[in-house]
Amino acid sequence: MKLLVVEDEVKTGDYLRQGLAEAGFIVDLARTGLDGHHLALTGSYDLIILDVMLPDVNGWRIIRALRDAKPSTPVLFLTARDSIEDRVKGLELGADDYLVKPFAFAEFLARVRTLLRRGSAPAQNDQLQVANLTLDLPRRRAQRDNQRINLTNKEFALLELLVRRQGEVLPRSLIASQVWDMNFDSDTNVIDVAIRRLRAKIDDNYEPKLIHTVRGMGYMLDVDEAEPVPEQ
Amino acid sequence: MKRPPTSLAVRLTVSIGAVIILVLLSFGWMVERSINHHFIQQDIDELNAVRQALEHTLALLPNDNHPEAIRTTFANVIVGHYNAQYRISTSTGTVLYATSGSDLEKFAKATPPVMQINSDTVSIWKDNGRTFRGVVLQITTNNPAITNNFTLAIATEINFHLHYLESFQHYLRMITVIACLVAILATWLVVYQGHAPIRRISHEIEKINSEQLHIRLKAEAVPAELTELAKSFNKMLDRLEGVFKRLSDFSGDIAHELRTPITNLRTQTEVALSQARSSGQYQEILYSNLEEYNRMAKMISDMLFLAQADNKLLKPELVSIDFQAEVQTLFDYFEVLAEERGVNLELTGEHASVTGDRLMLRRALSNLLSNAIRYTPHGKTITVRLIKNTATDSLKIYVQNPGAVIPEKHLPYLFERFYRTDSSRQRAGEGAGLGLAITKSIIEAHGGSIAVSSNEEMTSFEISLPINAAPGTAQSNGSDI
Repeated sequence: MKLLVVEDEVKTGDYLRQGLAEAGFIVDLARTGLDGHHLALTGSYDLIILDVMLPDVNGWRIIRALRDAKPSTPVLFLTARDSIEDRVKGLELGADDYLVKPFAFAEFLARVRTLLRRGSAPAQNDQLQVANLTLDLPRRRAQRDNQRINLTNKEFALLELLVRRQGEVLPRSLIASQVWDMNFDSDTNVIDVAIRRLRAKIDDNYEPKLIHTVRGMGYMLDVDEAEPVPEQ
Repeated sequence: MKRPPTSLAVRLTVSIGAVIILVLLSFGWMVERSINHHFIQQDIDELNAVRQALEHTLALLPNDNHPEAIRTTFANVIVGHYNAQYRISTSTGTVLYATSGSDLEKFAKATPPVMQINSDTVSIWKDNGRTFRGVVLQITTNNPAITNNFTLAIATEINFHLHYLESFQHYLRMITVIACLVAILATWLVVYQGHAPIRRISHEIEKINSEQLHIRLKAEAVPAELTELAKSFNKMLDRLEGVFKRLSDFSGDIAHELRTPITNLRTQTEVALSQARSSGQYQEILYSNLEEYNRMAKMISDMLFLAQADNKLLKPELVSIDFQAEVQTLFDYFEVLAEERGVNLELTGEHASVTGDRLMLRRALSNLLSNAIRYTPHGKTITVRLIKNTATDSLKIYVQNPGAVIPEKHLPYLFERFYRTDSSRQRAGEGAGLGLAITKSIIEAHGGSIAVSSNEEMTSFEISLPINAAPGTAQSNGSDI
């Protein structure tokens, strides 16, 4: 997967490149709008990440040009102005998603993966399996070690999200948005409580442990018990 | 380009000056006219006197008088009338007598004869640089000794009168001009003096800067006309002072709220770097820093949201929202938390739809609910009550929970940024004290209002939301200027 990052802020650009590279992506970094414009139109990328506040070539112009030339390449734009106008403008111009600075890297990575997944049709299995955990999607049932586990609707939705995005760190805000449709940063620890309860049901009495807490970032479901920070 | 309005002093001076000039001019005109009239009347009297004397003379004129005697008799008629002259002739044109000096013959021929002497029949006649007022009369006499019809031309010299009038006019004009100038100058002085209170107020206002917003104009020390101005200016200062204070409190709070985590981060980093550590320890420190950063980022984005609300930049995207379903969604979200704390959630009230921004209203209610869950004792119930008020076309949303009473003195400040009822209770993993402020600004951006009350029975937040929040109402609210 090859990504283009257009970001004039030196530090932000470096860390985005490093973070994405360590997450297994090939990353081109353009530090000026002009370079970004050129690379976006000439290169071949699976996703373009664009800071819209560039000193030389306006980010909106790049989105517009890109939409004319390559309508299918997904665009994620970054904006520091926390305003509806920017959001609406970006999406109207054809960008696929946006993030408001400052953002958490885990959140960023999750959005990137969501956008990349969008192109490929999701495998419509009736069953999801991780280690000895099985999810029966039509009947909304979970089994561990062939033992049936009773989950509430929301607990099942939460588990399904974690399983579907196995190996990815899911920030609390993304979980809240996907499972409960709460699209804002909440002060509450609802997600922590929900995960704790889910863990009690599917992890406490079984091995291997599947749900991992990634401090300061979110939660992740994976078979690997090692510290999941430098994920590949 | 629009010109600025003309200065008040100029406007007043010009209009008052114009009136004074007009009054003086018409006064002068009237005086002049009446003097002129008086002179005409004097001339007419003179002419009449001569006429009567002549008529008298004619009536008594003997038939066979010696011409020399007749001349003397006629000459005697105008003795005492120094300015008068006359010429008398018979209907056949024979001149009986004509005073020496002016040639009245031309005048007699040019002027149609009349019977009466009055201001309408007299006319002006110039001859040899002298001016006369005169009249040509047709008179009859019942003296059988002489012919019955005579043409009589009488004139009196009016140079003296004209001269007098001329110099009078001259003086009058000079006096008028001087009086006008004096009056205009006086008016301007008075107007300028009259504006002194305005200059004084402006001087006082000039002294007010951001450090002296407490200064107020003395409404009782200004003229009645300016009292209103002074009062409204004071009110504006009240509002400004309030906003200014809030603003500076706010920046103070921000500094305070950011100082703590930054101090923590710096100390932690310094300590960490003071000696070599294992990678696990470094990782631990970075995790701890990350948590601190997250908290700061959250606070900054909350403050940005509030700053937007302050600047009326919150523009709700209006959609129709089923409030019952909305509350139910929130209950679903908070369910695990409520269960964990042993608190029940209950929704009562009628089905109600409201136009509003779904995300914002959800956020507003979520803040109230998480607050309620935090303070409700184990085993108790939080109630959300929806009551439609058709009279005011609004929806009342009550979020009520039993629990410790919030002291009366805290209630008015509950929605202020960073306000904490318990100053010792520091961040216990909860928000930075911006939740209720955010809720309030969201409700106000929808043209609604929020209030709180607290007693032994329950603490109750009461939201009043217009059912049809027009986009306009979202802009026109707020307590700021």
